[in-house]
Amino acid sequence: MPEIKVTPLGAGQDVGRSCILVSIAGKNVMLDCGMHMGYNDDRRFPDFSYITQNGRLTDFLDCVIISHFHLDHCGALPYFSEMVGYDGPIYMTHPTKAICPILLEDYRKITVDKKGETNFFTSQMIKDCMKKVVAVHLHQTVQVDEELEIKAYYAGHVLGAAMFQIKVGCESVVYTGDYNMTPDRHLGAAWIDKCRPDLLISESTYATTIRDSKRCRERDFLKKVHETVERGGKVLIPVFALGRAQELCILLETFWERMNLKAPIYFSTGLTEKANHYYKLFITWTNQKIRKTFVQRNMFEFKHIKAFDRAFADNPGPMVVFATPGMLHAGQSLQIFRKWAGNEKNMVIMPGYCVQGTVGHKILSGQRKLEMEGRQILEVKMQVEYMSFSAHADAKGIMQLIRQAEPRNVLLVHGEAKKMEFLKQKIEQEFHVSCYMPANGETTTIFTNPSIPVDISLGLLKREAAIGPVPDAKKPKLMHGTLLMKDNSFRLVSPEQALKELGLAEHQLRFTCRVHIQDPRKEHETVLRVYNHLKGVLKDYSVQHLPDGSITVESILIQATAHSEDQGTKVLLVSWTYQDEELGSYLTSLLKKGLPQSTS
Amino acid sequence: YRDLHTFELQAPTRVIEWAGGSRVCVAGYGQAGGNEILQLIPPPALQAKETQGLCPERDFKVECGGFSKRPVYSLKYVPDTSLLVTSGPPDSSLQVWQVSAEDSDVIKSVSTIATENAMGQPWAKIATISARASWVLHGSTLDSIQITEVELRKNVYTAGSLDGEELAGLAFLDSSTAVLCCARGRLCVADVRQPRGALQALPAPAAPCGDRWCLGTACATQGSGPGARPVARLSSRGLLTLTDLRKASEPLASATARVPSPSSGAEFLCVSWAPALPGCLAISGFDGTVHVYDTQSWDSCGREAEPIFVHKGHALDGSGDPALVTVHMWHPQKPRTVLSAASDGSLHVWDWVQP
Repeated sequence: MPEIKVTPLGAGQDVGRSCILVSIAGKNVMLDCGMHMGYNDDRRFPDFSYITQNGRLTDFLDCVIISHFHLDHCGALPYFSEMVGYDGPIYMTHPTKAICPILLEDYRKITVDKKGETNFFTSQMIKDCMKKVVAVHLHQTVQVDEELEIKAYYAGHVLGAAMFQIKVGCESVVYTGDYNMTPDRHLGAAWIDKCRPDLLISESTYATTIRDSKRCRERDFLKKVHETVERGGKVLIPVFALGRAQELCILLETFWERMNLKAPIYFSTGLTEKANHYYKLFITWTNQKIRKTFVQRNMFEFKHIKAFDRAFADNPGPMVVFATPGMLHAGQSLQIFRKWAGNEKNMVIMPGYCVQGTVGHKILSGQRKLEMEGRQILEVKMQVEYMSFSAHADAKGIMQLIRQAEPRNVLLVHGEAKKMEFLKQKIEQEFHVSCYMPANGETTTIFTNPSIPVDISLGLLKREAAIGPVPDAKKPKLMHGTLLMKDNSFRLVSPEQALKELGLAEHQLRFTCRVHIQDPRKEHETVLRVYNHLKGVLKDYSVQHLPDGSITVESILIQATAHSEDQGTKVLLVSWTYQDEELGSYLTSLLKKGLPQSTS
Repeated sequence: YRDLHTFELQAPTRVIEWAGGSRVCVAGYGQAGGNEILQLIPPPALQAKETQGLCPERDFKVECGGFSKRPVYSLKYVPDTSLLVTSGPPDSSLQVWQVSAEDSDVIKSVSTIATENAMGQPWAKIATISARASWVLHGSTLDSIQITEVELRKNVYTAGSLDGEELAGLAFLDSSTAVLCCARGRLCVADVRQPRGALQALPAPAAPCGDRWCLGTACATQGSGPGARPVARLSSRGLLTLTDLRKASEPLASATARVPSPSSGAEFLCVSWAPALPGCLAISGFDGTVHVYDTQSWDSCGREAEPIFVHKGHALDGSGDPALVTVHMWHPQKPRTVLSAASDGSLHVWDWVQP
């Protein structure tokens, strides 16, 4: 039975380091290639030895697909393609292709420069890796080779995140990556059509969470900013160029307008240029609201938000500043942080996850004395807050997606084994599909039932329809025909037509069997005895005595002759065609038992 | 408000129960089956002493869940065991479930406590008390009140009564006394120390016919004896009566709440005392609001009382039909924190400021 094999190399039953291997109809695809953010050693990379033992990766894998630019989905890509070795195609969406190298380079800088690691990929490796990338558009069917095709769907979550459908013939798998079913301020909700894949691979990180409403989070964020500004403090918000930054800007702008606040809000210029550039490129990836504002005015021409100048950081009085990079590990945001950290009236709000080793991570873990370059100790007196607006699907969202796509099987990754049992049962009960939760390195085999379309000739159809009762639409009907396979098409025709088309002559097979019977009487009396006997036994069959002295049972012929040497023995010749084999052999064994002793 | 958090459950609930002060349980009540019983871990902010605004963990987490074919109308944890019991239509039996959060995240159905002549009876009301491990007081009518020892599956008390009047609520006052409230407002007291006992009826307040009532008692661990805290009753017309069970002939105090005329009946009427605020109680079930009252200023005239706080959150959310608050529950330790759920699936946790 055809099967699809799935092996998570990472994110089987834990969060981080997503990397899933899928084998479908002889094709091998790697889904995501992520880094585990919590580890510093080899455990942060997926275990590629599982594949490499099968030979060269480029020969084994048909393609690699990256769902979005978060490091736990693409962080190990340069390591994989340049250090382990892979030269095949890597597919991702356009925004992902644009943003990935930036994040990878940032990450490389932190790991090598700050932490002093040596066995890590280089800047050149990142560049070489990106050369192998083929960018795809949403809903565009991409032929990887003659049989394998992939298609990207909108996933929400972050800019450029996509869910991918992988199809070979009529078997297909959909991989969701990280997705979100509720739209937020700058991204839409994930969407997929009723593609009915054999398997849906979904993340379940937030399946057990019942999230606090967005409004409450936003309200609390604004409250904190407001409080800080009211008491004369400064608020620093380190952001990555895209995504949440826009949301927060819109939020603050609206709030400032409503409350008639006067404190200045700044956005660092480097950020503005980059962000503008990306948004112009990828405007279709955002939601309606953002697109409208972009059309009406420039993304960053807010009434209350101005461009930042380095000197402003020293200005007295309250202000809010958005600066890069997002984890406070270098650059402008770190500079501002150092200036403001000593004052307890100030606040820094971290909008997302920070990698270990960065200042952002340290202060979020509670560290208040930081060692800077030149052995300088920085005392952090400013308030540190963390706020996550990151969007993942919860249990309700997962059920929604399954309802949209209608897969035949579901596989969950990214969650903890014990905590996914309830969700597994929930999915199985509601949708009557099987739900799997493999661990890292564990292979799950899903059996598929591909349907093979066959054309049937009209003649055969008419003939079969004429026999027997009207076929029930829901029950399979058994029919006899000949299957002709030519090129890639299958046709079912009647045997006669098949012979005609192929120019073959039909051969008839006829079997004849001799049965000896002890009967001293004349032949025609023996025949009568046989006839009466058979007529009595085979009540459901048509038994006839023909004028020429032979007996027919259906289409089987029985003739009696005298034995050449022994007059007391009669020889019955039982003859039947190949089609009547069953009846023929039954008759023969019946006659071999002998005739009843009775008066004829 | 000092704090307000809004959450959305996949299905609306009409039960909110605390388990040991650190877990909250909710359950669906849909008629079509497939209801989920969810044991939730509240966000740390709800468990900590100070409220934090931007705490990284702000969400409820589903710790474990179970599936119930029946709608769950009432749910109680069985003290000192890892079991909980639920009840709901179509009859008055109880379903017993096992919660073992460390081993698996599935709440398993283990048994049913059947009751005599259960078919066709209204759903059972349930009460437990931490002083009596494994005891569950349940019944749907005055003549079907009993206490079952859940682990041994034994009946330890049956009330001797021939009156088939429907029960609106029941509760333990302490480890030897239980109070019962009929749907029409009548109160009865039972001594549960003997396996069989008669019910002692208390004089009823003069209430117009047709009203339906519900019962609210203080947490039975506080105080000693049945008179420590008055018993509150709420009628579907908004009349609140406080009764001291030692002097039950006259209500201790009463007041009328300003509520809209009852629409869908008294399905979700709920009144409860605040565990940490003396004299405060909350009512809900009339519309999308929860009212909090300070009863210390009440007298026995039944005048209209002003609530000291009204939570309107459920009524404001959403654009469709107005939501009806199905249940509310006080936080066991934090004095002014209340959880409330509504028919649109929303779950609010709010902390108000004393005016």
